[in-house]
Amino acid sequence: MEKKKRSGLFLTVAPLYIFTLVFVAGPLLYMIALSFATNSDGWGTLWKFTLENYKKIADPVYLKSFSQSFQLAFTSTICITLLGYPFGYFMAKQSAKWKKRIMLLIMVPFWTSSLIRMYGWIILLQAKGVFNTLLVKLGIIEEPLKILYSYPAVVIGMIYALLPFMVLSVYSSVEKMDWSLVEAARDLGASRAKAFLTITLKLTLPGLLTGVILSFVPSMGLFFIADILGGNKIVLVGSVIQDQLTRGSNWPFAAALAVVLMVLTSIMIYLYRKITHVKDLEGFF
Amino acid sequence: MKKRLAALTLCFAMAASMLAGCGEKEEDDNKELVLYTWEGLFPQEVLDGFEEETGIKIISSNFDTNETMLEKIQQTDGKDYDIVVGDDYIIEQIVKNGLAKKLDKTQISNFGNINPLYQSQFYDPDNEYTVPHGAGIPLIVYDPAQVDFEIKGYEDLWNPKLEDKIAMIGSYRAVNGFVLQTMGKSMNEEDVQVIEQAGEKLKELAPNIRMIQDSDTQNALLNGEASVAYLYTSQVTAALAENPDLKVVYPEEGLGFGIMNLFIPKNAPDELNAYKFLNYILEPENAAKCFDALGYYCTTNAADDLVNPNLVVPDSVKKGEIVQNVSAEANEAYEKNWTEFKAACD
Repeated sequence: MEKKKRSGLFLTVAPLYIFTLVFVAGPLLYMIALSFATNSDGWGTLWKFTLENYKKIADPVYLKSFSQSFQLAFTSTICITLLGYPFGYFMAKQSAKWKKRIMLLIMVPFWTSSLIRMYGWIILLQAKGVFNTLLVKLGIIEEPLKILYSYPAVVIGMIYALLPFMVLSVYSSVEKMDWSLVEAARDLGASRAKAFLTITLKLTLPGLLTGVILSFVPSMGLFFIADILGGNKIVLVGSVIQDQLTRGSNWPFAAALAVVLMVLTSIMIYLYRKITHVKDLEGFF
Repeated sequence: MKKRLAALTLCFAMAASMLAGCGEKEEDDNKELVLYTWEGLFPQEVLDGFEEETGIKIISSNFDTNETMLEKIQQTDGKDYDIVVGDDYIIEQIVKNGLAKKLDKTQISNFGNINPLYQSQFYDPDNEYTVPHGAGIPLIVYDPAQVDFEIKGYEDLWNPKLEDKIAMIGSYRAVNGFVLQTMGKSMNEEDVQVIEQAGEKLKELAPNIRMIQDSDTQNALLNGEASVAYLYTSQVTAALAENPDLKVVYPEEGLGFGIMNLFIPKNAPDELNAYKFLNYILEPENAAKCFDALGYYCTTNAADDLVNPNLVVPDSVKKGEIVQNVSAEANEAYEKNWTEFKAACD
């Protein structure tokens, strides 16, 4: 009887596992295999083992694209944390009615393609755009600022695209928090700041870190923002991979870059966890 | 009962009309022309005009990529279509594989209307198979109000006065190509060492680059982010439409272009109709209509006076080169130049 039940359970879950194996593990393994293959003259790939693709990554041009990506991801993540944590925190402390309204405001932009929203930023930031015209008209600046196609423009785009992930994960963890612990701390004589640092921050740390990971990992790959708002001048790993897949038509090299990027990102996540001692990042490990 | 009768009558009527349709088709079999092109390659006006003049019915089918077209022509052994369009590099494959028919030029009295600048290319050195139909030429466009010297060629882009002022398309071969042209080399250089030298020169251009983008690059020029731009033909046309004061430069070092070509597949069902069609669109008025609608450079010089003047390359331009496929090694060097260049722009 027990056995029958088990096989029933297995059969119910099997499609899910098969799906995952075929569509998640399959492409992943294919990519790893591809990264050791040889690029052929013209179109296509030769299935001949080589380490050439990985050797090529050591070239300063490509190494720089990795450091650029990490730098941008760090900068963006720090900005997102500084903006997103207070946002999520205060959002969770609103009345139920306002919570809903704010949530709606956060979600609405998601109904539009992120690509189109990035083009919206061009209109805001360009030399004859809304922002510059306003500043010039108000007499704050004389010449329009060259914001578009610069590093800050890319960071602005990153923050804009990823902020909701931080806000929502901080929000859900502040919302779940047991406020009586803060009250207790205050009763026992802790200042507001101390209560926040020792109680609130500690208890909401999992949410904060989920937010950090949710913004750090995608920001390693969001190369289209650097293309659109940065004028393609910041070379990220993502755009190198895209270039190799399309115009360079060197798929094995693109696969090798993707494998290295994946490994580095995983190490980053592992380090986060080690340093912060947070064990309950459910779903990540 | 009445209903059933009505239905039966209808059935018969339909069957009869179907049969009638068949009969008609057999009778006027040579009154058809099957086109296989990009969507919207020919303006409806021109197609209607052809149908009216010749009584030949045009059937159009479309493809998205050159590669799809090549595959289809290979599969059908060139049997299904009368006229097909393709870009230069794919025409090379078509001709090499013997999929195109040698044109009987006695049937195309307007063959001489074609601009020789676009003929005798690598894919058809003796002009036996193709009729060029539009050229795309990446060109420099600038706003004379914001640039205080005359830009004559690619070399001027390196001028320090243009610091942070150039917007550029992301075509790595076109950009590498013009650097090579300033060095007096071919756009299709295979020697990796020469390509690397070009890479060094390209990096020196970096301080002048405001942005690199493949789509809507002309907007940077129009909205004041850049004062010089290196653009695709469609973007040049769009930019001029919005701001006619912009100046187009036909670089003295020579052009780099891509050419669309029409050809007749080797087993085309209605060869004679295909000749009639080619002849028709080579008529100056019809050609002008085609290029005006298409927005590519006019390859039929008999139409030069009729077409939008922005789509005519001045007579002074004699040199042009097409970007061709190069060896994997050379391609890698070009790709690397490009990545290094972009990184240097930051």
